[in-house]
Amino acid sequence: MKGYIGEFEELVLLTIANLAKDAYGVAILNDITERANRKLSIGALHSTLTRLEEKGYISSYLGEPTNERGGRRKRYFELTDSAVTELNNMKALRDQLWAGSKVNLSLK
Amino acid sequence: MKHSSSPPKLAEKLLKWYAGKADLEDIQGDLDEVYGLSLEHSCKLKADFKYWVQVLSLLFSYGLKRRKSKAAYSSFYHKNSFAMLKNYFKIAIRNFSKHKLFTSLNIFGLALGMCICLLALSISVSIYQSDEFQEKKDRIYQLNTFIETDDETKTFGSTFPAVGNFLKEEYPFIEEVVRFNSELNLEVNHRGNMMNFSGYFTDPSFFDTFSFQLIAGDPKTVLSKPFDIVITEKVAEVLFKDQNPIGKVLETDLGSFNITGVIQNLKQTHFFFQMLTSYSTYEQMRSEHPNNDWVNYRNNYVYLMLQPDVNNGQLALALEQTAKKASQFNPTKAIEIESIELTSVVPRWNISNAIGIGWDEPSLIFFMFVGLLVLLPAVFNYTNLSIAQSLKRAKEIGVRKVVGAEKFQIKAQFIVETVLLSVLALIGSLLILYPMKEEFLSMIIAAEVLDTSPSFAQILTFLIFAILVGLFAGIFPAQYFSRLNPIQTMKGEIINGKSSVSGFKKGLFVFQFFLSLVFVIGVLAIVRQYSFVLNKQHGFESDNVLTVPFEGIDKKVAIHELSNHPDVKVITTSSDLPGLFLSNEVKATSNDQDTLDSYQVFIGDDFVENLKMNLVWGNSKELAASNQNEELVLVNEQFLKSTKVFNLQKDSLRFTLEDGTRCRVAGILEDFNFEPLSQLISPIMFRYAPEKSHYALLTVNSSNIKRTINELDAIWNGIDQEINFKASFLDDEIEEAYYFLRVQIKFFSVLSILAITISCLGLLGMASYTTENRTKEIAVRKIMGATNRNLYYLLTKDFIKLIMISALIAIPVSYVFYDKLFLYFLLRYGSGLGVLEVLAGILFLFLVGLSSIYWQASKVTKANPATKLRYE
Repeated sequence: MKGYIGEFEELVLLTIANLAKDAYGVAILNDITERANRKLSIGALHSTLTRLEEKGYISSYLGEPTNERGGRRKRYFELTDSAVTELNNMKALRDQLWAGSKVNLSLK
Repeated sequence: MKHSSSPPKLAEKLLKWYAGKADLEDIQGDLDEVYGLSLEHSCKLKADFKYWVQVLSLLFSYGLKRRKSKAAYSSFYHKNSFAMLKNYFKIAIRNFSKHKLFTSLNIFGLALGMCICLLALSISVSIYQSDEFQEKKDRIYQLNTFIETDDETKTFGSTFPAVGNFLKEEYPFIEEVVRFNSELNLEVNHRGNMMNFSGYFTDPSFFDTFSFQLIAGDPKTVLSKPFDIVITEKVAEVLFKDQNPIGKVLETDLGSFNITGVIQNLKQTHFFFQMLTSYSTYEQMRSEHPNNDWVNYRNNYVYLMLQPDVNNGQLALALEQTAKKASQFNPTKAIEIESIELTSVVPRWNISNAIGIGWDEPSLIFFMFVGLLVLLPAVFNYTNLSIAQSLKRAKEIGVRKVVGAEKFQIKAQFIVETVLLSVLALIGSLLILYPMKEEFLSMIIAAEVLDTSPSFAQILTFLIFAILVGLFAGIFPAQYFSRLNPIQTMKGEIINGKSSVSGFKKGLFVFQFFLSLVFVIGVLAIVRQYSFVLNKQHGFESDNVLTVPFEGIDKKVAIHELSNHPDVKVITTSSDLPGLFLSNEVKATSNDQDTLDSYQVFIGDDFVENLKMNLVWGNSKELAASNQNEELVLVNEQFLKSTKVFNLQKDSLRFTLEDGTRCRVAGILEDFNFEPLSQLISPIMFRYAPEKSHYALLTVNSSNIKRTINELDAIWNGIDQEINFKASFLDDEIEEAYYFLRVQIKFFSVLSILAITISCLGLLGMASYTTENRTKEIAVRKIMGATNRNLYYLLTKDFIKLIMISALIAIPVSYVFYDKLFLYFLLRYGSGLGVLEVLAGILFLFLVGLSSIYWQASKVTKANPATKLRYE
């Protein structure tokens, strides 16, 4: 079995990939809220981020202190190689399933 | 708008507190940013609410949990390293030796403060371990009776005596039943002298059940026959010094008892007796019908020993059935019978009619409370003094903090120091307590049964107590020191290091002096009561009255011979001495329904006249005119007042006693304190019966009382050489009855000496601290021309103000406490609290306090200002 990522985890990983250099807590939060139209708390987001970090899919570093946020630094996240591999695996699996579908999946 | 409002403080704090050492920076940043965003869209209230929701979601999130556990395991925050602990001790000891005055003041103060607590603890430990030595303790139960009637609900330590036989016959799983009756009060005639002993009637199974050892006698047979008696070692020593008591006969007011055994002295048990006699004696003596065994529960106790391996359910069922049976005989009462394990019989919370001394938890708690009241000022002293010392230690703390000490490490240092100090104080306290212990224990009834010698449990309790005291005393200074700002302390400026005393410290100070003052006033108030009762006329003439106990002498001859002596003006007799406690109670009924409990006193000729008691009505001369049908008696007013509540159809001056004697009141005495002033005036009847009296009361008028007594002694010896002549003045006997007041004086004196010493130690410490801090200031003042008087005024005025405040609080409190409560219960007919006592107390404390300040102040004021200017 290939390394398991949940649906939400995949969403977070892809969001980080979309945000690239700007992927920090609030940015990810807002992006997911807008795109997926989901209500999401900081606690839930950080739980997922921590899990992903433990699984080795993302790494994080603290940015430089700026004038916003009362001088508090932001923690930026970026994808690791294994995350890229995993995302590819997921996509390949999906594509395969889409291609092999015997039911017409296209929207009418 | 965005910058003007900040997120809810409480939520921020909550998060910080929860996160502990975990790194929060980015998360807090995220939170703030989200908060800012939501402020743009909605009102502050809504944004705040959202912020709270976010914080709460974080509290439950895995992310934060993970960060926390990471932070906890990082090597930087390694808590319990042995080296660090060793270092704490090292610094503590160095610090002690550096500040010798402060250390010794604190140790001495805490040691004094701990004394009473340690005493209370050692007694409690001993009581809680009662009966632990009994070999079969796991199988032995005491039966308690829960009785609910219309007007009261109580749990009694006693139970119906019939329960014993019932259980034994019905339930084979009960191995032994031991019944007790605690009404054994013997007046033993020992070579002509009457001596009182108390004890129990009990079954022979006593020795099978309990592990009391017989020194002499066979445990199987010692209590088998009626009038067999077993005495304790102590009693044996009193009665038969060098002889073997076995086989001897005790002549008592209840008949002759054969001594069959000697039991070792009681130790660590809830029983308290001097003698044990067989239960069959009780059965033979009492007049009641045996059916009463299901009705009388007072003073009757039943203990069960179960067979090994019997479960509690069986016993509970058996007791339930027994209670049902008992209810048949007592239809008006709801009865439950409970079993209490032998080792938990004492101390209990609230048990009526308990066997033995009946140690109870409330009095232990009260004792401990008094101890803590004395300890508290000592703890305050420590807190005060160690914060006052902050100036000296601030630099050390600054360095520690700069080097990287965490708050808890600074706290640990101070806590370790205080605990070490209080353990040292514990040793000191034991040294102080050791010589006082005997004196103290002698004030407690039956303390000889308690084993307060050092034991493992006791030492452990003491240590735990000392550590707790240390923690309590140290927590506040530790908190204070750990908060100091390192930058300021390194520069040597501490905001709190002012020369004046802060408000908090002032409060502690006032409390100490308040407490001392209340104790001092207590001593003086009781001393006043004592002198009051000795000078007060109780309502009869007690001057120049000589009392002579008859013991076994021929009373008629003695009265006749003694009255022939020229110095003896009149002579009368009485069964009880006026001014002393009464014990002889009798039940009287005036209408065959209601009974009145009254004391009875048997008096001889001219008793009322000789002692100058006031008759309100009637004639005391008539007493001797009693005949077979009717006895003429005197009663006090209280007697008639008490009978008034009854529904009287007949003549109120006639009543019948429980033994059937019909009485008629021939005279009424004005109410007076026949008993000590601590007792309420209760109904008393005086019956004419010279043959039942115990004392001859001689009113003497002599220029040389010693000679008179010697001559009386000679007359006495002429009648009966066997019996000693033991004359004493009634006044002295009355003084002896107020023994309880002397105990109180002693107790309060000790408390007040402890409290005052502790307060003065605190005062001394504070004074020396403030004067030391103001050395430079005083030197400058001196140079500028301040006189010594000015300086004394300057240094003492703050403290005097504080003592005055404490006096202002203490006066109303001690008035309410002593005058309205304490003295009222101690002495019903006392004189209350006097102004003089209060003033004397305040003055005394003022002088003591002032002299300790003066001692310190004079040091500074006498010093040469030139050298002192270079100080600091």
